[in-house]
Amino acid sequence: MEVKYVPSVCSYCGTGCGVLFEVIDGKLTATLPLKTHPVNEGRLCIKGWNLHEYVNSFMRLKAPLIKTGGRFRRVSWDQAIQVTADRFTDIIAKHGPDSVGVLVSAKMTNEENYIAQKFARAVIGTNNVDHCARL
Amino acid sequence: MGMKAEVKTWLQEGRVDIFLGYRMMAGHPLPHVFVKDRLQEVDELISADARYPLEKFAARIAAAQPDIKIGMLARDCNKRALNVLSVWNQLEPGTVETVDVNCCPSNLKDGADCSYLKAPKTGFHKKRVGIDNQSDPEDFETYDQQERFTRWMNEFQRCIKCYGCRNICPVCFCQECSLEHPDLIKTGDLPPEVPIFHLVRAVHMAGRCTDCGLCEEACPVDIPLRLLYRKVNQIVSDLFDYRPGSNTDQSPFSVLGEMPPEPEPLKAAEG
Repeated sequence: MEVKYVPSVCSYCGTGCGVLFEVIDGKLTATLPLKTHPVNEGRLCIKGWNLHEYVNSFMRLKAPLIKTGGRFRRVSWDQAIQVTADRFTDIIAKHGPDSVGVLVSAKMTNEENYIAQKFARAVIGTNNVDHCARL
Repeated sequence: MGMKAEVKTWLQEGRVDIFLGYRMMAGHPLPHVFVKDRLQEVDELISADARYPLEKFAARIAAAQPDIKIGMLARDCNKRALNVLSVWNQLEPGTVETVDVNCCPSNLKDGADCSYLKAPKTGFHKKRVGIDNQSDPEDFETYDQQERFTRWMNEFQRCIKCYGCRNICPVCFCQECSLEHPDLIKTGDLPPEVPIFHLVRAVHMAGRCTDCGLCEEACPVDIPLRLLYRKVNQIVSDLFDYRPGSNTDQSPFSVLGEMPPEPEPLKAAEG
């Protein structure tokens, strides 16, 4: 049995508290605060304490899915991207670029947030970009 | 030097299968499992002042692999917690062997390693309307009932219900925690119903709390939890002449002359 304690950063909000994962045989089984981390100094909120729950959740998406006839159907990445692109093109052609909104999140990395707003502004052509924290 | 050599010997001789200690990683002193296959890592074994509940990790590992022999670095608080875990059937006696670590400072020894050496000073406002975390239960004698209640409520109402106090506590092991029972504590309520949330926990800490202070260190809003549980255990000490963690004798809280059925030790998450 392989037991490791792996330091990391909480993936929820933008605070970025230090966490310590208990990893048993390659699987996350518990989350603890990093006591010496300068941001949280050994404290966590309830979301941070339960990071290991969502990582192993059976509800996590594992493949691209497209809703067809009211039910989700598993498809390839290429198909999923193509369908999304086609639908965006249709919507923008019919209703204009400002009919699309893009919501970014503290759960994404800074780089992903940058891409998302660049996509909204340069590709879709809208400045309807907002953040989950403002909801 | 003596510590590292001893740990290496224990691993080589097979006296323990794994050894729980600390090691610097990514600039932080972190708990680490030292094994015989990677004996050279023991050269990096340290006892840092950052305190993690190693005995809680040991109980979880032993639950996942019951015949394992575990060694660990132990301060006094760790040893008390190990006794309590034994008393409550969470650890078979003899599963864990300890290597003692200097905890509190003294002129009679070379070092001291405890996060309480750097406990934060209580601020002015908290002392004025709340409670000084560094105080003792006796300090409350000067306040009347109303003032005591007001001060405690000022502290409790800051609670954000993170469950940190319970999650980090080395002697909290119940699979069905009262603090999560839907009939007692409503989900989604913030702040939690005070003071009942904290009083429920305090009552459950009677006869179990080993005064390690990890709960207070884990509380994001500095509620004086250690102080509260100290008071509860003072009552336990007065009434039953029992101090948790002092030995592995049966606790006065186990009734009917034999251990009541307890939940199984924590298992690593399945599925």
